[in-house]
Amino acid sequence: MAEHTVASFDEDLAQIGGLIRSMGDLAASMVGAATRALIEADAALAQRVVSDDVLMDARQRELDNRAITVIAKRQPMADDLRAVVGAIRMAGDLERIGDLAKNIAKRVGAVGQGGMPRELAHSIDAMAQLVLIQVQGVAEEYAAGDGKALARLRDDDERIDVKYTSVFRELLTYMMEDPRNITACTHLLFCAKNLERIGDHVTNIAENAYYVLTGDQLPAARPKTDETAMPAPAA
Amino acid sequence: MKPMLSNEITTADVVDAAAPKTKIEVKNLNFYYGESKALKDITLSLPERSVTAFIGPSGCGKSTLLRVFNRIYELYPRQRADGEVLLDGQNVLDRTQDLNLLRTKIGMVFQKPTPFPMSIYENIAFGIRLYEKLGKTEMDERVEQALKRAALWTEVKDKLDASGTSLSGGQQQRLCIARTVAVKPEVILLDEPCSALDPLSTARIEELIDELQADYTIVIVTHNMQQAARVSAQTAFMYLGELIEFDKTEKIFTSPREKRTQDYITGRFG
Repeated sequence: MAEHTVASFDEDLAQIGGLIRSMGDLAASMVGAATRALIEADAALAQRVVSDDVLMDARQRELDNRAITVIAKRQPMADDLRAVVGAIRMAGDLERIGDLAKNIAKRVGAVGQGGMPRELAHSIDAMAQLVLIQVQGVAEEYAAGDGKALARLRDDDERIDVKYTSVFRELLTYMMEDPRNITACTHLLFCAKNLERIGDHVTNIAENAYYVLTGDQLPAARPKTDETAMPAPAA
Repeated sequence: MKPMLSNEITTADVVDAAAPKTKIEVKNLNFYYGESKALKDITLSLPERSVTAFIGPSGCGKSTLLRVFNRIYELYPRQRADGEVLLDGQNVLDRTQDLNLLRTKIGMVFQKPTPFPMSIYENIAFGIRLYEKLGKTEMDERVEQALKRAALWTEVKDKLDASGTSLSGGQQQRLCIARTVAVKPEVILLDEPCSALDPLSTARIEELIDELQADYTIVIVTHNMQQAARVSAQTAFMYLGELIEFDKTEKIFTSPREKRTQDYITGRFG
């Protein structure tokens, strides 16, 4: 893209782009750390995720301020307008990802007391890896300006939903086997739900990023499977 | 006679109701200032009772295109147009076109307010008298109507005898719009109507444009892109005498198809 006649406009936009990238990196690092803390019962790492969330909130506020200022000062149009408005929305989703990672981190103590069966840790870890790949991927593909990759990435959220359904069922089984598992498994269920929600925010970011890059909205329909919401069969 | 069928609406009726009627249709229009070609093969359709904006850098031909619509260019030597400009299907470039009639149908307001050096009342009545013979009461009504239509009445109703040139810039511009609507045109051409006005007067004119589009087809040339985005329903981007892109205004300003449009409206032009 050619440069603006007013060079400081390019600098303003570059700063907003830089903030989105740094929020994306931070979100990925928080999700990775929160899951590791959960699986390894690492309270210190969990605490780091909680304090990172403060940083995430501060970056979002900075981005909002810069974006509002650019709109007021420059009245951006076309791709510039999409980039600024898109950045505000993506920052909102990244900030929510930070919150959800913090929620997971906050449960580390509660789950750690009961201990976690190896198979269950494996399932949660596998789900977390899928989510982490999505979070890292969306930041990278946006920076690379790859619309097609973003569209694929949005559809890949399906895999997280499927995994969530299977983790949900697994947790139910553990709770039915031994009521002493209920406390830990309930916390884990919330963690799994948080991971699934992170996937949804990545989907939003991918849709926004696609619009910023192309000016077109991705079609609304997307494969969606969450069988946990199905009613239980009548006894 | 066609038999009336109860409550039957054909597909054709629905399409007719939805699609706005074309007021001005430009076909393969070329324009020359002497040897130099200022408009190159312009083709576009302007819908009725709607605001169309022409944008583009200086010298792109947007004002020239506007000046072809009412053939005002004919006041100057060595300027000529070929192609077609159809107003309700009639080619206004036709030799047989009555220019006075054309200019009552297509009114024009310029960049600098151009009130006549006479009273506010006479500024309006002068144009009406050229085309209609009205009694005093009727004329008073028409003047009041026109000033109300241009949102100027409350400000000038107690000083209709004051000179038009004594008004502020914004008021003068609204006086010119009142003068234009007084002769009941069908199309109003606005050539950078707000470029000499302060933001408040500009807002008043924009509000007026918004109201007037219910009754008139409006074409506005503006250097102010935000103004084009605010007031128009469709926008044409022109460059070096060519029509580069013509689309719905929201499309032009959020995701234009052409790179040249994008570069211009985002401030990346060479």
